[in-house]
Amino acid sequence: MIFLIDYDRDAGRIVSLRTFQDAAQNDAAETRLQLELDLKRKGIEREIVLLEAADESSIRKTHARYFSNVRELATALDTAAKDA
Amino acid sequence: MTKSQIDRLAKRLKEGASNDDDLRLLDEYRRSFSEAYGHVIKIIRETLKLEPTGRPAKSTLSIVEKLRRESIRLSQIQDIAGCRITVDDILAQNKVIAELQGTFGHAIMSDRRQHPSHGYRAVHVIVQFQEKLIEVQVRTHLQHLWAQLSEKYADAMNPAIKYGGGPKSISAFLQEMSDMIADLEMLHQRWSSNYFSLPNAEHTDTISLASQREEILKMQQTISDLIMTAMNSIPKGNKP
Repeated sequence: MIFLIDYDRDAGRIVSLRTFQDAAQNDAAETRLQLELDLKRKGIEREIVLLEAADESSIRKTHARYFSNVRELATALDTAAKDA
Repeated sequence: MTKSQIDRLAKRLKEGASNDDDLRLLDEYRRSFSEAYGHVIKIIRETLKLEPTGRPAKSTLSIVEKLRRESIRLSQIQDIAGCRITVDDILAQNKVIAELQGTFGHAIMSDRRQHPSHGYRAVHVIVQFQEKLIEVQVRTHLQHLWAQLSEKYADAMNPAIKYGGGPKSISAFLQEMSDMIADLEMLHQRWSSNYFSLPNAEHTDTISLASQREEILKMQQTISDLIMTAMNSIPKGNKP
């Protein structure tokens, strides 16, 4: 599955998350480009990223910073260290 | 696209003088990695039976920041496309790296466990296919959580934090945490290695194992205390 994430770094949160089927790579890339062009015209700077993974729970782990705040990540690190 | 076209585009991106056509050109350049990216991901999934999270194209914001931060040309950036694999521990990390090197041959390895970049520890394996470079990041669970924490601090407070800058208290905390995680992983690796070799040992040194376990517990507690101190220093209602 493909995930198109529009992430606002300053606010530290996801503005939008769209999904595409694996076969729709071109659609996903084109949607990303149109989103970047639209934001640029509005003078807005955001991180627009495409990710591919089996499911959303995978990207929540491998790209946790889009979904969690500092405290949540620090707690996860503490827990993982205790489990090591 | 020629190399000089790509690098002229980079100059405009770096200077903030890009227009819609430049974004389209950058998109075209990123899409030129699709075939190589697809090939590498397919092999990792089907041959190595691993499940990476793929990132077919580096974001525009990250590319522009990298161009501004480093004296590098767009055509020299090695992580335009790539993927990330997280594993349980150092032993699993070493196994995956060996498998990647064995499968792709001629892969270039950047071992940031030995040479951390501002506390960032991981192994990056750069695979080449049809003259395109694809970056495979291999991280342990702890290395990965540290990296996510560092990036989130950078998002929330100051992008320079990722590169050792920003508030000194934060960069010191992240550096200390990175060192401790390295120590914990090393202790755990030593303990596991000794524990699993016990049945074959002539003299089972259970006292040594117990003392190694004790060291691990102490390190875990120290990490926990450090995290608690850092979190308590964030004022309530603050953005992080």
